[in-house]
Amino acid sequence: MSMKVVDGRAGPRGPTLALLASSEAGLLLITVGFVILFSYLTPGFSSPFNTYALTRVLAIDVVIGFSMMVVLVTGGLNLAVGAIGVCAVMVGGWAMEVAGLPILVAVVLALASGAALGALNGILTVAMRVHSFVVTLATMSLFFGAMIVMTKAQAFNALPAAFVSLAKLKTYFFASSMLYISIGIGVLLWWLFHHTLIGRQILAAGANTSAARLSGVPVERTIVVCHALSGALAAFAGLMLTARNGAALPSMAGQLGMDWLLPAFLAPVLGGTLLTGGTLSVAGTFLGAAMVTVLSNGLLQLELGEFWVQAFLGIILLVAVALDRLRAHLMAKRRI
Amino acid sequence: MKINRYTTVAAAALLLSAGVAQASDTKAALVPGGPHPYFAAWEGAAAAAAEDFDVEAEYEVPPAWELSQQNEMIESLVAQGYNAFLVFPGDASGTNATLGELKDFGIPSATLAGCTEAPTPALFCLGTDVYNSAYLGTQELIKAMGGSGNIAHFTGFLVDPNTQLRIDAVEKAASEHDGVEVIQVIADIDAPEPADEKINAFLAAQGDNVDGIVTTAWVPAVVAATSLRNLGDKRIKMVGIDHDQVVLDAIKDGYVHGTMLQNPYGQGYIGVYAMDLVRSGCTMKDDAPWMTTAQTDRFIDSGTAFVGADEVDNYQDAMVRVTDEIMADFKETYMNCPN
Amino acid sequence: MSTTMQLLRTDWFGLLVAFLLGAIMLGVAQPSFLSTYNIYVILTAFALSVLVALSQMVIVAIGQLNLSVGAIGGLAAITFAGAMDLWNVPIPVAILIGLMVGVAGGALNGVVTHVTGLNAFVVTLATLSIFKGTNIGITEAQPFYDIPEAVKTFGNARFGFFPYLLFVSGAILVAVWVFMRRAVLGRQLLAVGGNRNAAELSGISIGRVVVAAHVLSGTLAAVAGMLAVARLQLGQPTIGDDWLIISFAAPVIGGAVLAGGHVSVGGTLLGVAIIMLINNALVLLNVNPYAVQLLLGALILAAVALSRFRDPA
Repeated sequence: MSMKVVDGRAGPRGPTLALLASSEAGLLLITVGFVILFSYLTPGFSSPFNTYALTRVLAIDVVIGFSMMVVLVTGGLNLAVGAIGVCAVMVGGWAMEVAGLPILVAVVLALASGAALGALNGILTVAMRVHSFVVTLATMSLFFGAMIVMTKAQAFNALPAAFVSLAKLKTYFFASSMLYISIGIGVLLWWLFHHTLIGRQILAAGANTSAARLSGVPVERTIVVCHALSGALAAFAGLMLTARNGAALPSMAGQLGMDWLLPAFLAPVLGGTLLTGGTLSVAGTFLGAAMVTVLSNGLLQLELGEFWVQAFLGIILLVAVALDRLRAHLMAKRRI
Repeated sequence: MKINRYTTVAAAALLLSAGVAQASDTKAALVPGGPHPYFAAWEGAAAAAAEDFDVEAEYEVPPAWELSQQNEMIESLVAQGYNAFLVFPGDASGTNATLGELKDFGIPSATLAGCTEAPTPALFCLGTDVYNSAYLGTQELIKAMGGSGNIAHFTGFLVDPNTQLRIDAVEKAASEHDGVEVIQVIADIDAPEPADEKINAFLAAQGDNVDGIVTTAWVPAVVAATSLRNLGDKRIKMVGIDHDQVVLDAIKDGYVHGTMLQNPYGQGYIGVYAMDLVRSGCTMKDDAPWMTTAQTDRFIDSGTAFVGADEVDNYQDAMVRVTDEIMADFKETYMNCPN
Repeated sequence: MSTTMQLLRTDWFGLLVAFLLGAIMLGVAQPSFLSTYNIYVILTAFALSVLVALSQMVIVAIGQLNLSVGAIGGLAAITFAGAMDLWNVPIPVAILIGLMVGVAGGALNGVVTHVTGLNAFVVTLATLSIFKGTNIGITEAQPFYDIPEAVKTFGNARFGFFPYLLFVSGAILVAVWVFMRRAVLGRQLLAVGGNRNAAELSGISIGRVVVAAHVLSGTLAAVAGMLAVARLQLGQPTIGDDWLIISFAAPVIGGAVLAGGHVSVGGTLLGVAIIMLINNALVLLNVNPYAVQLLLGALILAAVALSRFRDPA
């Protein structure tokens, strides 16, 4: 079920706690470094408006990253995060605008449909005994296609003002209020994975499937739970984006929901969550998203010639992950 | 991100809006939905308008065609001090939220080339009525087909709400003629390889049965024009969209009947002019001769024209003429100005 | 074990039966399916897609994933077209330049993956941005129009139903098949994918194999990109944007194990063929455009389920 990692040194149990902590420290250092650099180089970067806008983007990308992270921990992947997010918000948008349900009920409905679609991914993965990459490659098209059939791609753009204003709740201390919601979700996830039985079972199953099964962990159930959780988190990110956009949009995550894939993978992977499963870092995912958001925002501010921004972002990301790898390598050597 | 120079946001917002209000010069940004050949003319239009009206105007392209990337681009431009925005809406509904925030900061905006759904904070929409353009294009096609026959419609991503408008418009035009039927709609072919595969598969199945093709997205127009040329088929009439060189050449050589042109240069040029007027204190007139479209009731047609073989060499002159016409009385027609 | 059982256990037999059944059903439902022109259309699309699928397959063989296949193909396509349009270089030189882009892009993926020890998924996620970003930086989203007639003609010439493009793809398909079966390096790819430690212990240079696989992948993607230019008669910057799904779906339907060590050239070929058949059917049967995406997803899922059924591990 798990995918091969290129580096033989990274054992299935993952790096030690101490190293994990320093991996996050490394990310924090790089991110702060870029913040200082961009603040120095551009007048706009540290302006209150930009801080607000940047933290709002970050808030959403963090939750998108979480939604991928909770599947990566099983050693799987979820290509359908964007498609699930869009499906869920269209349900939520319908519930609010057409059915006239209270906001809270609509939100719960959206989250439940996200979780249900995610659970379907999990069940198919377990039942067909294929990698979730393959299942979600197909369901991405399936879910998105179903959404297009049902909505005819028409947005729900008369949502209750109370819902839309959630995103406009300006700021507590310099950051968008949405960021604190994302941090709250992060704390819940941290608690789930480190302080509950199911969380520990998920980690054990992700790290070593057969050993976990021998010790009585219901491996299949952990996989379905993780996919359902991923779906619910995708739905939550979708709802945040809906509040930000002021409408439930079929185009929110692009064709097939693929616009979400880059932020979804970058945040957890930069944050030290291994694709082999068994480890995760909630704080790392947050910081990974922070680094990407700061970089892309800063590069836009620098006005390097806008057609080249994507190329520069790619180069810096590659250098950043390579440097982080080098640092981890050196640290590991020193420890031994 | 961890730098906190301002204790309260109220103060911060105040600081920003004050800064905007005091700026004497217009600094306009023209933001397309992403990298796309349609918008290339905006760059020259922005430069020309900047010189003619003595303002700053820049063409700023989001790194990828994504709504969120466009929003981030606009936000970063606000931080860089841009104080007027001309935006091709990444989503007809979704872009309203961003324009609304600009409005809250006292930054005026308008939509170019495509419109946002009313109610919208955009002051006006200067562009092409996608519904009308598809409708007129289909009417031209039916005329070229001699008034009856079977039509195929090739279009772009269904996830774009404009695609449904285009499908409806083609259907509407066809329904107005006896003996005209839309026999197939192929959508989601904005990438060139699947467009090539599906358009040619259609021609294989229905090539003898179809009499006309209407395309309402850039890539399908290019690929369909190329396919008809390769087949050497001049029996099937085709009306394309936009001004890709491939489509224009196919019109000259008789493989394509014509294309529905828009006026991107004029959009950019007039847009900057209007934004400068707004920043100097003018407001939009409520009783101006606004046109009403399926999306908005503050629409100005930037020049939608069918161009066939006769006009294809000089289509730019036609667009310059339209631009001049709109410019000539734009201020009087659409604006209340203090002096 | 009987011959029938052996056939049933191969990667390709079940797929071949599925493909033939599908083709017969479609042929009955819509006779124009078997028209010369339609077969030519399918084979043309097949010629492009099979290279894309092979480009991914060689990376899956070593147990990695390459997200940058489409971005490399697109970059090779626009350098190939740009070299001819802007610099008027002779066609063979332009082809060489395009191939070099593929080799260089693949080498970058391979070297970074090996030297840093990072997962290729992560590396190619970043290089995807680099390659696509360079593409947009160079073209500013404008196509290169001035493609020599010889290239355009080649992309659209055919013997009856047989497109010239398929000569290129067919030759490459055979070469890759021989390479994976017979060549030492080909077997080493599978060995590294199957059991890395065992491969290392048996004296295989892991670095060399990983870099070689990525260079091969990049080169195949580059050829696919250049064929797309010939077919479209135009250097579109968006070439390759749509390759991701087919690049993974075809090898997987064809029996490839994502963990590495097992791929099938024949299975991949049939995987592409089945997807081409589905795409063709969706057009020929005039399926409501809104249902196309939904059906495509359901059918790919069914194809995967079918390939699992064959192999109840």
